[in-house]
Amino acid sequence: MASSQHVLLSPAELAYLHASLNLTPPIRPDGRSPTQFRPLVAETGILPGTNGSARICFADGTEAIVGVKAEVERTRTRHDFPSLDEGTEDDDDLDDNQNDVIKGDNDWVEMTVEIPGYRDDDAGTVFLSVMLSEALLADGEFTKRLWINQRFHWKLYLDILLISPPLSYPLPLLSLTTHLALLAARLPRLKSEGDEDPLFDDDWAAAPYLYPRPSEKGSKATAPAPAARPPVTLLVMAVGNNIIFDPSKEELAVADVALAVSVGESSSTTTSTTSSKPTAMDIDTEETKGHNLRLLSVRTIDPPSRLTPPGIPNASNSAYGANAGVKDTEKKKQQQEQARTAESEAVEGVWKAPRGGAKTLVMATMVQKVLEKGGVADEVLDALDGVDLN
Amino acid sequence: MPITILPPKAFRDQPPRHSLNHDSDDVMSDATFDSEDSDSQPGGVSLDGGATIHPRKRHRSGAGAAASSTFTKRPKTNAAINSIPRSAIVTPGERITTDPQWMRGHGTYLSSASLGEQAITSSLAGIVTRTNKLLSVRPLRARYTPEVGDLVVGRIVEVQAKRWRVDVGSTQLAALPLSAINLPGGILRKRTETDELQIRTFFAEGDLVVAEVQQLFQDGGAVLHTRSLKYGKLRNGVFMAVSGTGGGGGVVRSRRQVWTLESANNGGPIDVILGVNGYVWISKHVEPVVPEEAKGQTGITNLEEVVSATMYSSQNDRIEPETMREIARIRGVVTALVENGLRVDEDMVTKGYNEAVELALVSADGPEDVYLGGERGEQLAAALTAV
Repeated sequence: MASSQHVLLSPAELAYLHASLNLTPPIRPDGRSPTQFRPLVAETGILPGTNGSARICFADGTEAIVGVKAEVERTRTRHDFPSLDEGTEDDDDLDDNQNDVIKGDNDWVEMTVEIPGYRDDDAGTVFLSVMLSEALLADGEFTKRLWINQRFHWKLYLDILLISPPLSYPLPLLSLTTHLALLAARLPRLKSEGDEDPLFDDDWAAAPYLYPRPSEKGSKATAPAPAARPPVTLLVMAVGNNIIFDPSKEELAVADVALAVSVGESSSTTTSTTSSKPTAMDIDTEETKGHNLRLLSVRTIDPPSRLTPPGIPNASNSAYGANAGVKDTEKKKQQQEQARTAESEAVEGVWKAPRGGAKTLVMATMVQKVLEKGGVADEVLDALDGVDLN
Repeated sequence: MPITILPPKAFRDQPPRHSLNHDSDDVMSDATFDSEDSDSQPGGVSLDGGATIHPRKRHRSGAGAAASSTFTKRPKTNAAINSIPRSAIVTPGERITTDPQWMRGHGTYLSSASLGEQAITSSLAGIVTRTNKLLSVRPLRARYTPEVGDLVVGRIVEVQAKRWRVDVGSTQLAALPLSAINLPGGILRKRTETDELQIRTFFAEGDLVVAEVQQLFQDGGAVLHTRSLKYGKLRNGVFMAVSGTGGGGGVVRSRRQVWTLESANNGGPIDVILGVNGYVWISKHVEPVVPEEAKGQTGITNLEEVVSATMYSSQNDRIEPETMREIARIRGVVTALVENGLRVDEDMVTKGYNEAVELALVSADGPEDVYLGGERGEQLAAALTAV
């Protein structure tokens, strides 16, 4: 699974990076604290031709834009599902929606990811788009929002474009941009009623948001049920026992484990969770002022560190030492034997690619760190709240 | 706060930028430039120009179109003509002027306009600059153009039979022949067949080298050499790539590209190598050590032999956390300089580092806080430009 691109780093660099990230507290090459993200610039509503759009860029020039476009599509009636409810419910919270979900209407959302320099059927690109759409569709709540009536629904096209070459693994950037674009997305207000052909209000100002938000910023804390929001996918990696968020390319190159953790915020009415980890369960039952987080999915990312060549310790380096280059077969043989023993044991200052699987304890801590109250996901969602939606 | 999200920046208070899709043919059709305008331009790398590389700027079409229409349609006699934006951005193929009084400079070519007249056309995406009557286009981003004698940092990307191909951020890979390195063994000797066979023991793919450009090919490709004790494989530090000569901010050619910086907070001496090509290496300063084997053999007096013995090691020495922290701080300084369109040279890095140490003292996390991104980088740049 080529989920992250290969980086060419020298063994000495890798050894240095690994050593500095393995300290407590870790020293990251760019001086950030372990949970700190790169500062980013975000804005929404940049593409007038879309239902919602957003743009985020990092200071190093990495930039992504996402456009959300919606069109009305006729819902295909399934003949293998005869018990279609012919009721007259208009509101989209009753059980005819359950049918929509059951009918497998994940195709109502089409997501494409484009990364310059990569084909759109490149394994890495496909993996990215699957991860992003998986998080969005995981709880089945999202597609319900696209339901218009029995015969029609919205078809949503999410176009995710990375504008700059990928200087680091772009997953968090793309996810945050998608999140903002979905928050900013609006669909025209429906004027028609029931199952007649849909007719929409021309007034764009009256168009409701796809994700209805709490009425006022100030009264948000007192709002009875926090509005649901699109998911965010965060990239977390671990070196030793240090857990590091939003890794840069160099940092990812020495990661022992890398996880993509998707977190959603649900309205408090939902009781069932589709979380794949039981650790999340105790968290979403609590009802306090923080976000009502729930884990949507966890994916491991193959860190490129496993493909890196090992460094050669001085003891077995034939170009090292005063007698290097001297033809001494006896010495050479000895060195080769040393090299064989050195292969198996770690030498300080020499890079060795991580072997074996991730420790479950580390994995659990990573997920826990994302989900805990006042943790990273909480703060990221708070910060995204502050973005002006226009 | 783990994440800071900033609103997009509005345009800096520059003269209005030229619209890229304006309806007029010429960027400077009605323009005449006064000398006092060009006098006010700072020498060397223009900071304004560097700042336009910044990605967070977005062209607001409405404002731009309005601006272009106001100044391209002005009559020639108007005194306000001279307020042509100094940083008009042009794209390849865009006509700059048909006025015959201008000479074409770098980044432009002559193309025949409609009625047999010659037009100066841009061949790059960049900023129009002028020196007296010479019009040239300075690229927004440029690759490194090697020159003989340049100190460069490069990464080996390919190993061939008798040479390495090195990425130096140029349009082509540079070549490092096996005959242009100091072979191990202490003495300067000719390369042998054995050396050719074990070429990967000297440099393998991914290794970083510091080298000098020895000669240039006709097509601009460079040949490097490492036949000096200053050059060779790099270890004990971090690498970063910034823009080299050509673009706005970035590494500029200066008197010293390599120096040792005495760091604060018990960090010890730290080596900084600013490759002219924009590749930067920051590492712990290591005094040459005599390997055990060499000690016993001959009474080593020749430093050259000792150094060449450790030249091809890829094992890091022991590096204290304090040193790592200061290395990260210097890296942050260089990043902040580049992101704010300032030049990167010994003077700026040293000043910036001292400033960063001061900044860290007043920060909430104390002197151990080495983060210099975002607002802090801007703060640092502001402090440097204010002096």
